[in-house]
Amino acid sequence: MASVNRQLSSNFYRLSSGPGAIWQSFRIDAPLVFFLFCLASYGLMVLFSASGENISDVRSQAAAIVVAFVVMLVVAQLDVHFFRRGAPLMFAGGCGLMIVVLFFGAETNGAKAWLDLPGLPRFQPAEIEKFLVPMLLACYLSTRPLPPRFRDLVVCVVIIALPVGLILMQNDTGTALMVMMSGVFVILLAGISWRIVIAGVVALAMASPAWWIFVAQTHQKNRILTFFDPYRDPTGAGYNIIQSQIAIGSGGVQGKGWLNGAQSQLDFIPESNTDFILAVLAEEFGLLGVLFLIALYVAVIGRGFFIALTAQDTFSRLLAGSIVLTFFFYAFVNMAMVSGLMPVVGLPLPMVSKGGTSIVTLMLGFGILMSIQTHKRVLPR
Amino acid sequence: MKSSANRRATLCGIPKGTIEGSMAEKFKLNDHETETLIFNRRMIVAGVLIFVLLSILVAWIVHLQIFRYDFFAARSDGNRLHSQYVSPNRGLIFDRNGELMADNRPIFNLTIVRETAVDLDASLELLRATINLSDDDIEQYRTRQSRRAVPHTSVPLRYQLSEEEIASIAVNQHLLPGIAVEAQLVRHYPFREIAAHALGYVSEINKEELAAMSEDEGNNYRGTNQIGKTGIEKTYEDLLHGQVGYETVEKNNRGQVMRVLDRTDPVSGRDIVLHMDNYLQAVAESALGEHRGAVVAIDPATGGVLAMVSKPGYDPNLFVTGISRAQLSELNKTGHTPLFNRAIASRIPGSTIKPFIGLGGLYHGVITPDTVINDPGYYRLPGRSRPYYDWTWWVDKSGHGAIDLRRAIYQSCNTYFYTLAVEMGIDRIHDYLLTFGFGANAAIDIPEASAGIVPSTAWKQENRGEVWYAGETPYEGIGNGIFQATTLQMAAAAAAIANHGVLKQPRMLRGTIGNDGEITDVIFEDTAAAKQLLPSQEQIELVRSAMVEVVNKPYDSEHRRHEGSAYPTLRDSGRPLEYPMGGKSGTAQVVQFQVDSAGNRDESEVPEEFRTHAMFIAFDASEQSRIAVAVFVENGGGGGSVAFPVARAVLDAYLLPRTETFDEVSALGSNAQ
Repeated sequence: MASVNRQLSSNFYRLSSGPGAIWQSFRIDAPLVFFLFCLASYGLMVLFSASGENISDVRSQAAAIVVAFVVMLVVAQLDVHFFRRGAPLMFAGGCGLMIVVLFFGAETNGAKAWLDLPGLPRFQPAEIEKFLVPMLLACYLSTRPLPPRFRDLVVCVVIIALPVGLILMQNDTGTALMVMMSGVFVILLAGISWRIVIAGVVALAMASPAWWIFVAQTHQKNRILTFFDPYRDPTGAGYNIIQSQIAIGSGGVQGKGWLNGAQSQLDFIPESNTDFILAVLAEEFGLLGVLFLIALYVAVIGRGFFIALTAQDTFSRLLAGSIVLTFFFYAFVNMAMVSGLMPVVGLPLPMVSKGGTSIVTLMLGFGILMSIQTHKRVLPR
Repeated sequence: MKSSANRRATLCGIPKGTIEGSMAEKFKLNDHETETLIFNRRMIVAGVLIFVLLSILVAWIVHLQIFRYDFFAARSDGNRLHSQYVSPNRGLIFDRNGELMADNRPIFNLTIVRETAVDLDASLELLRATINLSDDDIEQYRTRQSRRAVPHTSVPLRYQLSEEEIASIAVNQHLLPGIAVEAQLVRHYPFREIAAHALGYVSEINKEELAAMSEDEGNNYRGTNQIGKTGIEKTYEDLLHGQVGYETVEKNNRGQVMRVLDRTDPVSGRDIVLHMDNYLQAVAESALGEHRGAVVAIDPATGGVLAMVSKPGYDPNLFVTGISRAQLSELNKTGHTPLFNRAIASRIPGSTIKPFIGLGGLYHGVITPDTVINDPGYYRLPGRSRPYYDWTWWVDKSGHGAIDLRRAIYQSCNTYFYTLAVEMGIDRIHDYLLTFGFGANAAIDIPEASAGIVPSTAWKQENRGEVWYAGETPYEGIGNGIFQATTLQMAAAAAAIANHGVLKQPRMLRGTIGNDGEITDVIFEDTAAAKQLLPSQEQIELVRSAMVEVVNKPYDSEHRRHEGSAYPTLRDSGRPLEYPMGGKSGTAQVVQFQVDSAGNRDESEVPEEFRTHAMFIAFDASEQSRIAVAVFVENGGGGGSVAFPVARAVLDAYLLPRTETFDEVSALGSNAQ
């Protein structure tokens, strides 16, 4: 296929002459950027309230957003083929960095997953694995006939298992799960047989009792027990979810108004500016505010779908699809956990929760999406 | 079979070589469309899944925000809104001269809101290390916590923190969730033991008191920690307490009050004025000296209690915030029951009862002022051999000879009153003594006072299940029988004589003070019914003047035993009286002395607690009498010698210009603050 492409395109890009031509020449996907901008602005507004009107928090978040947009634009300038060709090397580099982390990493919240390099802000190498894993998988699968055969799947599993194993060794289950999911999405999109998928799900379901008995740690069991009955420990493990549900429910349709959420402003919601920021949003802006947020997410995801579906080659398609689905997975898991639909896992609400790293990594992903969208090769007319 | 074989072949990747290479190209080109199709299908599946998942999420959020809105809105308000009670300031207590006898003073308490205190045990451990916190404190806190009905209110852990303790708590505040230092106004008695028994004290409300309250009353005490336990504080609890206020506050997660949303101010308790004279109280207190005993002074015209002292006393401030076991055992270690109010406890009155028995004889016509009997030193019931001795018998085995009522009073002749009592009969004595407020608690606002005992045949049958023996009656004539009266009753009865026979019921409260400082007199109408046995003016003046002679009648060089029984003490004091004074001494036996066959009794080496009680009643004998007093000195000895000087000191302090300051007369001196 590579040779075919080479023949057809002759390394020659042709920009379309539609109204989006100018945007495309800057490698910008206008709708995506617009929706992301709306999301980021909305997020800043909520954060201002959630942080207790702490201007400096909002300022540093805004700075992170600016950096993230720049990163996105820079990444968008890179040709898709750069990612494709560089995938094995970048993957290897990423794994190398994580091994470095294992020895020299800094520890936060019990996870030895951070790299403190002089002159750079502290960052977590595992974060980029969310793109490096799908990138390598997409790269590999695009050279294989689809749907993937069993041997391909074995290779895929190895590609996923290597970084996930390293992240688990850093003691960061949440990120490991996300990296795994980003890889699984690629395999699913590549057309893996439903029988295998169903078999996998059944196997997981059957293995879960064993997991519960032999593997699960106390805090993990607690989270699940608390999910089923938050009131078994209302001032301890169940406190977060109880208070967060009170905040959401008491918001009603219209909400209590910006900066007027009693639960938020009186500190009843723990981690109100990070993982539980949705509770603040739901309390102050009500159902309408939540629907607006979901609408923005749907817009971003929809645009991502469009990009994935109109992508020109298997690599781009698989990568774009995985990025979009990972983004959805993030947003959904956070919203479901904060509202009590799922056990609590420590994931931020994308584009809204406080935290520069999260936003920069997300935007890096959208940069790749924009690159896929704007680096299409067209036949010369 | 075929297809599986094919698949196996493909899986093994067997086809190789140039042909296969070109075939692969072709295969891939074909495949490109299938791959796109597969991918697109999968994306559609993903899209549907996303739609389903988001629908579930939206449905759930709608459920929370619309259908369970009321529930969660209430929960949210419950989180942040707290109704708290604002305790009213307790009314102040002033004496008749405007001296502040009970005020309120701010103290700083360590309090706990149990619902907010996450790890109470850890916090308590930390507090133990930082401040002075005893097991007793913690135990008392748990009791308070257990009876506190309102959730999310603060319960005191320790009262009266020092400044150092406040500082060290402030430093560790972040480690002590739910624990705070709160200022509170608590009762303070600046004169400490001076009027402790009369004023009483406030202390922490207990479960029984809360349970005894009606619902309204109970609500009114929701913000109050202390309640009047004894004395004025208890009697006038309703006036002094005031009306509780409410406020609705918004609290944050750490229990800090962020805003006050709504407030109903409490209404302070009424300030009250007593008839009591603090100066007089101090004089009486120090006049008793080291003795145990009681002094009650009454204004005969109003019945107002000018002084009510019981010794030994105690510092009522100890009780306000809860007395510790150590302090309590320190108080009780002498065994002299300092908490016990001797002024309202009943005892046999000794000879101080004689004027009233005499009045009864006159009233019933059993005797006249001129009735004379012969006193050989003892009395014998008709037909009986057992002698009832006069006090003179113990001196020189003789009697008073011919004696009338007047002399019988000022000489305190027993034989006269044995005779009179027997002739009156116990039931007429009983009826007559009720006139002077005996046998019932005549006081209007001293509910704790004992009623005393006025025996009668019916009384004895009822209470002892026995008939009245004739041999008991003579002792009732001299106050050494069954009859018992409180010092308060004796003072009131003395005041009735001073007031020319009209008994005014004793009362503590003079009035309330309005916001303008005006005193509104509280008029208590006398309620006592038994006034029909009032003596005539001649009768009362006879007894009144005989009582003046008790104090003033000097030695008669021609006649033996014609001096007043208290006169020797007055003479020995070297200070003549500057106002007319009447009185009567009394001595009450604590134990029956051994009387030998010859009629001698052995009073030597009597231990202190078996010594006789000394009594004296006295009054200002001017036409418009201003004060009457009763003194009781426990194990004091003779009434004339021990109790009379105390009574005189009180009358002096009330009737003469005051030349000494309070601090000088007070035994506490400048310690009082």
